[in-house]
Amino acid sequence: MKASKTLKTSDAPARFKVGDRVRVRNMPNMFYTRTQNYVRGAIGTIAVCTYKDLIPEEEAFNYDGRIEQYYIIRFRQKDLWEEYPFDNDTLQTESPEHWLEPA
Amino acid sequence: MSGTSDVDTSPITLLEAVRRQGKEWDVIAPRYGVTNPDPPWKTSLIGMNECLAVGGSLPALDRRRAEDELGKVVYSDVPAPERELLALVHTMLRRGLVTEGELARRMRTVRSRLEAV
Amino acid sequence: MSTGHTHDHDGDDHGHKHPAAPMVEEITDYEILEIAVRELAIERGLFTAEDHRSFTEWAESLGPINGSRLVAKAWTDPAFKARVLQDGVKACKELGLDWTEPTGFGTPSDYTNFVVLEDTPTLHHVIVCTLCSCYPRPILGMSPEWYRTTNYRRRLVRWPREVLTEFGLIVPPEVEIRVEDSNQKCRFMVLPVRPDGTKNWTEEQLAAIVTRDCMIGVALPRPGRTADVHPIHKARRPVESSHHERAAE
Repeated sequence: MKASKTLKTSDAPARFKVGDRVRVRNMPNMFYTRTQNYVRGAIGTIAVCTYKDLIPEEEAFNYDGRIEQYYIIRFRQKDLWEEYPFDNDTLQTESPEHWLEPA
Repeated sequence: MSGTSDVDTSPITLLEAVRRQGKEWDVIAPRYGVTNPDPPWKTSLIGMNECLAVGGSLPALDRRRAEDELGKVVYSDVPAPERELLALVHTMLRRGLVTEGELARRMRTVRSRLEAV
Repeated sequence: MSTGHTHDHDGDDHGHKHPAAPMVEEITDYEILEIAVRELAIERGLFTAEDHRSFTEWAESLGPINGSRLVAKAWTDPAFKARVLQDGVKACKELGLDWTEPTGFGTPSDYTNFVVLEDTPTLHHVIVCTLCSCYPRPILGMSPEWYRTTNYRRRLVRWPREVLTEFGLIVPPEVEIRVEDSNQKCRFMVLPVRPDGTKNWTEEQLAAIVTRDCMIGVALPRPGRTADVHPIHKARRPVESSHHERAAE
């Protein structure tokens, strides 16, 4: 069966590395996004550099557009939710590079 | 999670008729002493979901968002997997991938075919 | 198959005959609906019958047993565990599990970026997909219904300890709970801590206590626990109620 998407490589170096502190940008959703509301504006650290791929907003429309580095970002739950009572708890989620900025 | 305002959740006559039959698997399987937790068409439904996503007709995220909304509004008292099937067909009908008329006709044909055996 | 009969003879020659397996002796509108919409979709060119058959057969082949085997092997073979943590997809191939099936590129829901999350005595992982309930189906099979509910998806990220308590799992406050929200293409599975009381167990014995819930992170493996059991929910439709009544909130 024909797959419509193949993973492309990109020569652009990843902007962030493991351990970097980043903030999730709060951009308007044009159409289709996988960036959850609850992480927007939050600051976390890069936990893993995962893979390079099309960004979901463009992939959804079969647009052979930008390839970006994806990252798993780790947040302290206390930084995501008001009055989160447990100091040690964390949450991780994945994001393409253009949703992140240095913090 | 962002809300979904673009799902037409008004009931669809054909699907309401299916639901009124009340033949969900968790109701009928025990009547026959069948212990398989899943109806025979469940994996076929999964296959269909994957095919619709691969082809671009219905991406998984769109399908799941509609399913969440429909599950809350229209099909809240239908168990999985019937709820998933109804939500899928509802979404396909609203997107014009198939029409209610042709689906009703095809259901009659399929039933005749299966019952003729 | 409508049959409730599952019986694995492992090639033995049993002399006895089985009674006829019970079958559901009626064709429901749901079954008809699935066939009808699928036929129309194929005729409309939305997909081919061949592709549908390929994905359906793939779906039928899945279950959590490979996940259990991966955990058991990681517990007994430190070099394998290191390979698992280094590259999950490659390690799965050692178990005969190929994440690129059935297309050669994986599926449009599962992809080919499998990451195993290792628990430690001070770190407990639990997995969710808030957006749409993505799940590592190639290694764990189909997701359980509760995993797909908005109840689980919305609450686990915000109140993980409360939700885990509802599953019967209480984690001490000093242990870090790390929620993994699989919102992109990585798919995750938990490698739990090997429990006490399992010294010298075979891989098979170990795999038997690694249930699906343990690999999602809502349960811990322990000797004697070989099944995921959930509280009984009240009847969706008690005997006397009409089909037209909505379930009470």
